[in-house]
Amino acid sequence: MSACVSRTSIWKWQRKADFEEKMGGRFQLVHAKPSRTAAILLSWFLFVLGIGLYVHAAHKRHQENAEDRVVPTIPHMLHSTYEAAFRPAEDDEPTMGENANMPQRFLASMLWKDTKASARRFFYSLLLLIPAIFLGLHMGLFPYVGVFFSRFVLFFDKIIALSLLPILFIAVGIDELSKIMLIVIGVTPTIILDTFNLTRSVPQEQVVKAFTLGAGDFDVAYRVVLRQIAPRVLNSIRLNLKAVMLFLFAGEMIASTDGLAYRIALLRRHMGMDVIIPYVLWVALLLFLVDMTMRLINRKLHPWFREA
Amino acid sequence: MALIQFEKVSVSYGAPSHPVLSSIDLSIEEGEFVCLLGQTGCGKSTLLRLVLGSEQPCEGRVLIDGTEHDQPDPICGYVPQKYSLFPDKTVMGNITFGPEVSEFNLLTRLTPRYFRQRREFRQQAMQYIRRIGLQDADAGKYPDQLSGGMQQRVAIAQALVNRPRILLLDEAFSALDPGTRRDMQVLIRQLWQGTGVTLVFVTHNTQEALQLGTRVIVLARETPNHGSRVVLDLAVSSSCAADEFSRLVARLDSAAGSTRESEELTPTIGGATPHDLAAAQDLLPNEI
Repeated sequence: MSACVSRTSIWKWQRKADFEEKMGGRFQLVHAKPSRTAAILLSWFLFVLGIGLYVHAAHKRHQENAEDRVVPTIPHMLHSTYEAAFRPAEDDEPTMGENANMPQRFLASMLWKDTKASARRFFYSLLLLIPAIFLGLHMGLFPYVGVFFSRFVLFFDKIIALSLLPILFIAVGIDELSKIMLIVIGVTPTIILDTFNLTRSVPQEQVVKAFTLGAGDFDVAYRVVLRQIAPRVLNSIRLNLKAVMLFLFAGEMIASTDGLAYRIALLRRHMGMDVIIPYVLWVALLLFLVDMTMRLINRKLHPWFREA
Repeated sequence: MALIQFEKVSVSYGAPSHPVLSSIDLSIEEGEFVCLLGQTGCGKSTLLRLVLGSEQPCEGRVLIDGTEHDQPDPICGYVPQKYSLFPDKTVMGNITFGPEVSEFNLLTRLTPRYFRQRREFRQQAMQYIRRIGLQDADAGKYPDQLSGGMQQRVAIAQALVNRPRILLLDEAFSALDPGTRRDMQVLIRQLWQGTGVTLVFVTHNTQEALQLGTRVIVLARETPNHGSRVVLDLAVSSSCAADEFSRLVARLDSAAGSTRESEELTPTIGGATPHDLAAAQDLLPNEI
């Protein structure tokens, strides 16, 4: 009887759905499936709109004032970018002739010199995050380590890293160490706490099971838990890349003689928007490439991991 | 001497204390297939964790082969209902994990002996893979590429490859569909007979307990404010007839206070119904 009733109600529901489809009835936006063309057009629309608006604004301002430096035209920016990328840095002695090839000229340029300086600080900072991962892992797995560090790390996490910058400059000087320390202080607590939480989220059954299979404490830590949380920890670092760059830029803008942020701060004084805008886009592109590389590495290293 | 011995074991949680188990006295001999039966929340899994050593009693003591265990160790194999496999390891990696960590630590894994022995571990794992009914090609698959039944098969092989004396299964088949569950029942029975391991199987399915176990222990609370006790400890004959089987199901259901639950679960046992217990006869242990 109940089977009969339910079959009837299913049939009625089907008929209603068919009717609504024919009559162009309710359309659920949640279930919309953009076509490939629509997806491409929509995803690039805001980029095109932004560029269009910029070109329009630059054109307008240059009609009013041909010497305008606030919104440089695209050809002007391309020229300045070429100068930054293929002319020797102004503070360097010219070491190559005019007939040097493009890669050689790029490697001697201001853009490359600044990129190299910022990248060096950036990767040193990333390397210094590795101990943070191990600390978070041990805090999450070994109760005594957790009790010893967790309160301190939680407090440390609440300190505004930029407020420590003057202290760092006074204590360790204005050289590389203070800038790297700023990044580490700014991002490390987040990574420690994130790794701690990820470690705690590994099901207890897995830990117990590993012990029943003969694993010791460090086997459980490194062969069970770390391997399971590794892709999520990498994701956490990926999400913190922007914070790393933020602290890097703050350090470079205040006290540095090279680096991308130093150059942006320097050009701000001369209203050099024709170089600042390409530099900002270059940083975004580099960060995007680092993020993409890390995602690729994550996928290659952890084929079992499916992102939610 | 009994392999597993509970002596006046009580467990409570929280403050004010909420009793879960009260004065459990129980001994399990080597080679038995014990099914722990009871309603949800009656302390079956707690009892299992006490055997594992991952939990300690508030009163009394649990002896494994005459000694107290305060942490999990390889004397017990363990197959939980969920998270039974390491998701980052392939089927092969999951099965060889036990032998590898037992023999090699993080440093000795870098020696040539490890690479020589690893070949043996893999061959042994491959035998288990075939024995549990998987294909050779499944060895390279990750757990999320396997069905629930296949995952539990691998989890059992993973636990057995270390040759534990006790195998603990905590509602290991409860998330499986009826057909797969029946296959798993046959498999676990075969593995028990083949290895002689002492098996403690937690379930709340009365018929499953009767079909599989050589002994069924029922836990139940006398009142809601008391912890669970052993209310029935029944040796199961492997040659009981359909009417005897029916009588036992009714007796166990009434002891566990789970008649309704049993009726709801009945269709999961090979399609048998309370009105057709003769059909359940073909699932009885002597037929497996």
